[in-house]
Amino acid sequence: MHTRYMRILKFDELELASRRAFFCVSDADLQRLAGLRPFAERHTKEVVDAFYELLLGHPETAKFFPDELAVKHVKKLQSEYFLQLFEGRCDLQYVENRLRVGAAHERIGLSPQWYLGAYRRYLEVLRGCLFADYGPAEAVAHLESITRLVFFDMSVAIDTYIAANVDTIGRHQLAIRELSTPVIRVHERILLMPLVGTIDSMRANQIMDTLLLRVVEEQARHVIVDIAGVPVVDTKVADSLIKTTAAVRMLGTQVIVTGISAPIARTLVQLGVDVSTMHTRARLQEGIELALEMSGKTIVDRARVGS
Amino acid sequence: MISVVAQYKLDVRCEDDVVVVRRKARQLAQLRRLDPFATAAITTAVSELSRNVLVHGRGGIALLEEVSDGTRYGIRATFEDQGPGIDNLERALAGGYSTTRTMGLGLSGSRRLVDRFDIQTTVGKGTMIRVEKWQSA
Repeated sequence: MHTRYMRILKFDELELASRRAFFCVSDADLQRLAGLRPFAERHTKEVVDAFYELLLGHPETAKFFPDELAVKHVKKLQSEYFLQLFEGRCDLQYVENRLRVGAAHERIGLSPQWYLGAYRRYLEVLRGCLFADYGPAEAVAHLESITRLVFFDMSVAIDTYIAANVDTIGRHQLAIRELSTPVIRVHERILLMPLVGTIDSMRANQIMDTLLLRVVEEQARHVIVDIAGVPVVDTKVADSLIKTTAAVRMLGTQVIVTGISAPIARTLVQLGVDVSTMHTRARLQEGIELALEMSGKTIVDRARVGS
Repeated sequence: MISVVAQYKLDVRCEDDVVVVRRKARQLAQLRRLDPFATAAITTAVSELSRNVLVHGRGGIALLEEVSDGTRYGIRATFEDQGPGIDNLERALAGGYSTTRTMGLGLSGSRRLVDRFDIQTTVGKGTMIRVEKWQSA
């Protein structure tokens, strides 16, 4: 998942360099952080314990750690995460690592506010440790380097949440697009495409493509396009219907547009749209009857024929 | 004397915004009990004109207002953009002329759909269009 997020975020060497520059994470900072490794190892337990004390003290975050074993497990992961700050590196592999953690948070549903709040606690505890172990000037310099990388981390984590959402939206859009242009075979060589919802440029193209492909596939003679579910038929929608009709016609197939309400009929006439190239009917049923009639068939009421 | 009962200012920056503006217009028309014909007319006009803002005006704003003249309610919609303006207004309003290979009926058609239609356009400065649709008497 995290490699996919790297792709969505277009996180490459160039992005890495520009972001490091913006967060002022210099090589000197990384060297300093590597030098602080023994300090970090000394205080890992303290920092991580304080971190989970905060998380377990609030019901919103405590629910993510159901039992002792879970806490033990995440404390171990957190210790590794903490020590990675002091490895003296900030390359693509580091980013990928951070993204993996962000993706894990996103997966379990831990939202950014808790992540950011918990990171604040991290810094608070670290500051205390630094001022206890070093003189004020040195502690301030160390803290500055740590802060730079921590903020860099946070930017990556926030990006992960965004990437996850973009990913979800993309998948939903794909699903909606597939659902939004169904083509149904109602009878031999007669197809029906019911249109529901707003028709934007992208959908208009998709309607045309889907319909043309299915017409050829099914060797359809008639296509009924039902627009009863389209909220507004403006010149844009009318234009796409007329163009679709023209394209389908080139394949030797007739288009019948149905589901035209009285207000839509009046609106189209007032707009000045010329629909004379299309067969139109008010209701779907009439459209089906027309298609059958044009292909030399009729629906017969058996009771009436018998009498 | 026309009074404004409520107003809503909406951005028109992308195709989704056109849908938002249009839906709001329909909602207001239904709220103010315009009949189905008038509702379809104002909704369609708003759809056309907000798309114009997007396509020709490079984005702008739509102001939707519930208005009253003391006896009837109506919907007023104002569209403003800082786009290139319309250099031949007469031709654009006559209909059937398009700069974007579409039907060219948006402006002329919208004008026929509404009860009141005002347009101010300055080449290089932008365009303001105001339309009104009222409850039938």
